[in-house]
Amino acid sequence: MAGAKTWARTKSPWVLHFNSGACNGCDIELLALLTPKYDVERFGIKLEPSPRHADVLLVTGCVTQQCSERLKRVYDQMPQPKFVVAIGACACSGGVFEGNYSVVGGVDKVIPVTAYIPGCPPRPEAMIDGIIKLLNAINPPKKQKQIQAPRAKHTTAEVKQDVKL
Amino acid sequence: MGTNIGVYYHVHTSKSFFTLKAEVPKENPRLKTLIDIHPGALFHELEVTDLIGVVFEGNEFHGHFVLSENWPDGFYPLRKDVDPSKVKLVPTPEREANKAAEGRQVKIIIGPQHPALFEPAKFSVTVDGEIVTNVEPRIGYAHRGIEKTTESRTYMQDIYLVERVCGICNPCHAYGLVGAVEKILKPDVPERARYLRVIALELNRIHSHLLVLGHAGLEIGYETIFQYFWRDREPIIDLVELTSGNRIYSSLITIGGVRRDITPEHIPKIKSVIADLRTKLPFYRKIYNDEPTLRLRMKGIGTLSREDALKLSVSGPVARGSAVDMDIRKDLPYEAYGEIPFKEIVYTDGDTWSRMNVRLDEVEESINIINYALDHLPSGPIRVEVARSIPVGEAVCSLEAPRGELFYYVRSNGTDRPDRVKIRTPTFANIPAFLKTAIGESIADVPSNFASLDPCFSCTDR
Amino acid sequence: MIPMIDFLLIFRILVFPGFTFIFFLALFCEWIERKLEARIQNRVGPMVAGPSGILQPLADIIKLMTKEDIEPRDTKKWVFRLAPLTAFAIMVFAMCFLPIDGASVLSSGTAIASSGFNGDLIIILVFATIANFLLFLAGWASSNPYGTISSARVLTQFLGYDIPLFILALTPAFIAGSLSIGAIAAGFPYILLAPWAFVLFLITMQAELEKGPFDVPHSESELVGGLETEYTGAKLAFLHLTRDVQLVFGSALVVTLFLGGPSGPVFFGLDWLFYTLWFVLKLLIVVAISAYITNVFARLRIDQVLTGNWKILLPASLLSLMLTVVLAIWVYHPFGIGV
Repeated sequence: MAGAKTWARTKSPWVLHFNSGACNGCDIELLALLTPKYDVERFGIKLEPSPRHADVLLVTGCVTQQCSERLKRVYDQMPQPKFVVAIGACACSGGVFEGNYSVVGGVDKVIPVTAYIPGCPPRPEAMIDGIIKLLNAINPPKKQKQIQAPRAKHTTAEVKQDVKL
Repeated sequence: MGTNIGVYYHVHTSKSFFTLKAEVPKENPRLKTLIDIHPGALFHELEVTDLIGVVFEGNEFHGHFVLSENWPDGFYPLRKDVDPSKVKLVPTPEREANKAAEGRQVKIIIGPQHPALFEPAKFSVTVDGEIVTNVEPRIGYAHRGIEKTTESRTYMQDIYLVERVCGICNPCHAYGLVGAVEKILKPDVPERARYLRVIALELNRIHSHLLVLGHAGLEIGYETIFQYFWRDREPIIDLVELTSGNRIYSSLITIGGVRRDITPEHIPKIKSVIADLRTKLPFYRKIYNDEPTLRLRMKGIGTLSREDALKLSVSGPVARGSAVDMDIRKDLPYEAYGEIPFKEIVYTDGDTWSRMNVRLDEVEESINIINYALDHLPSGPIRVEVARSIPVGEAVCSLEAPRGELFYYVRSNGTDRPDRVKIRTPTFANIPAFLKTAIGESIADVPSNFASLDPCFSCTDR
Repeated sequence: MIPMIDFLLIFRILVFPGFTFIFFLALFCEWIERKLEARIQNRVGPMVAGPSGILQPLADIIKLMTKEDIEPRDTKKWVFRLAPLTAFAIMVFAMCFLPIDGASVLSSGTAIASSGFNGDLIIILVFATIANFLLFLAGWASSNPYGTISSARVLTQFLGYDIPLFILALTPAFIAGSLSIGAIAAGFPYILLAPWAFVLFLITMQAELEKGPFDVPHSESELVGGLETEYTGAKLAFLHLTRDVQLVFGSALVVTLFLGGPSGPVFFGLDWLFYTLWFVLKLLIVVAISAYITNVFARLRIDQVLTGNWKILLPASLLSLMLTVVLAIWVYHPFGIGV
């Protein structure tokens, strides 16, 4: 049973996109993931409209003062188990906007982050790579069966080691 | 600035610019509002009140317009004597609970996190049954304080910073700053660079227009055309990568020229990709013209008359969809646009459908412009050396971004950092048009009406 | 005396062609639908879960079942808990009346015509309406503005479209001269005798199932998640399953009424196997048509959906019924066609 549970969770990650004050760069690349060239529905990834349905929260953009409270609330609305992926340099650390008067900083200042995908903006391949790394961290696959993200050459996505369901 | 605050009104009439200057004492900065003469000034005045603290009599408001709710009253981040990092934030005031419905009126909150908006903004829409009776906007969710930050960084750093105002139309922002600085510095920009800039700006326009044409499909529940448009947008993004080395942030335009050249090997590749796109345009035109359900959802929706468009001073495809023939590329040609023949697209219906068709036709015009620019590409250097410090002066730069007129004002103080950078983005000017057209229409038309403005909140909030 | 336990009936209800079979058929149809949608949109669709992603809907359901189940404070607790489950149960029950393997699930015979009873056509249509009403209750109970508006749209929409649906469902019944599903399915493929009714029925079904271009209750761009907005975990899973079974039910109804149900050539005496095969194949054709319609049109507005019903579909369905009556009495029945 536990095996089926883990299998189902790694095969059906529904994501919610939250823009916490991004410049649109990451957002359009994220949206491009759904389109024919990248099509992340292959991995069962669906963009869900409501936080109640989502398993993974994809946050783009530096967290602005105005958004930080909303980000926290959306995170709280998600059912367990939930994961947060910070997409883009801004979401990882605040990026070029670090230190501005209306910017809180990286996403991890507000909510716990599971995986970081740096880049300005990260290429869609890098985003797929990051999400697949997250899934592999949840359910470490056997050597041969590891899902290979396509063309993931220039990516540096990082997943925290202590991922637990 | 001493004891006075200068308030500048930059007015762009059909073919010329003029600037009105007024000064108000810092202790009691008050001016009379302009909204009774010119309703389009509404948002601009609110923004100035919030960021600089000049109160416009007749257009006052409480709370914050752009700044976050936990920002203390009485501190204005854009004033020179305020150090925003030392401002103590106050606890967020209690949110007003969703007011109980009055009679049949229900308040629907669209945003800040909402599938119709891929960006944070909040619209409180009051509906009576399905009919919208009121829309209250709250922007500022993506306010990152870029205008203030430019003052503490060098011009070279600022180019990269202002590009990140908006990821979709980033070359336009880079050009806005560069164009204004070059008007002060007057470097001898090489001819080839001026053509390469046009190519970069037009590639950006194509990708931005395809993006919104697809996104509008998503808003009216037509996912298939969203996927088709975005499929055909990918080769254009590849061209951006080919010419600049990056998919989104091209960082091509810089003070004194451009950073990368188009090699002779690139030219046939670019030409074949845009020729490919041109063959697909008739199909999309057919969809937009003949598809019955799409016409039902777009024809006659969000109609903005020519008079209203002029009054609210909307710009770009929104203005051109309402029969206002206004295109900065034609009116005040910059770079090589004066030498390149192209048509100005104007539709007269003023509804969502005409705004989308303006964009569809502009894609074709952009393809023509790129073809012409590639054929007539002058030879020579692409960049000249420029000084890092910019002499004292001030300049404005206005250009036609994909969403409309983008306006930059730069004042330099003789150092390598600007004294003030003001960015007026097209969406900021276009939102009042949405507030006007949404009222009296169905709630189901709000998303498509709104998407037809091609809104960009990271631009609006900065 | 020990009462006789009808093991065959229990097997039929629980395993084949009852609950288990319907459950997996619903998931399979969802997969087909998602794959077709992806292909129409130039994508590939699910690929990783199972061969060609065939297990994707199952993975979604298992995942939802094992997720945390949140009940927001303001919900109407009991309705919120029970409505999704009841809606699913009723849809599965309605499916049981359809002759999937040649007979309805509740009968143990294999003769198509004799399974079921006169009037069960009306009963399953009523069940479908009740399930829709439960979905309305589910959205209303979540006390969320999006959920409330969405469920109000569900109500207005199915109340309107139920009328032409009933009228059109009577067309084949009239030609067959019976209100029994079995008798209609065993008769002629009525698409040949009343093609206009078939087309109208498909459109009405599309609206009844709230699929594009009539999917106003689920329009993400204004209503976020529609009536499902506040649902999580197992309740959300049941709402999804209800949708899937509704899709199968709608398509199965089209197959039964217009495409001759499970009828088809039978080889090697394995009538239940071939009947099931024909039934599922015909069902998939209908699902494919439905997916195609969904993807080539933009979503209509609620007022356009309603006008479309009262001004076009309802008069058209009445005309269709009149035409059928005339044809049946003066043409089909005298020549013995379709009875």
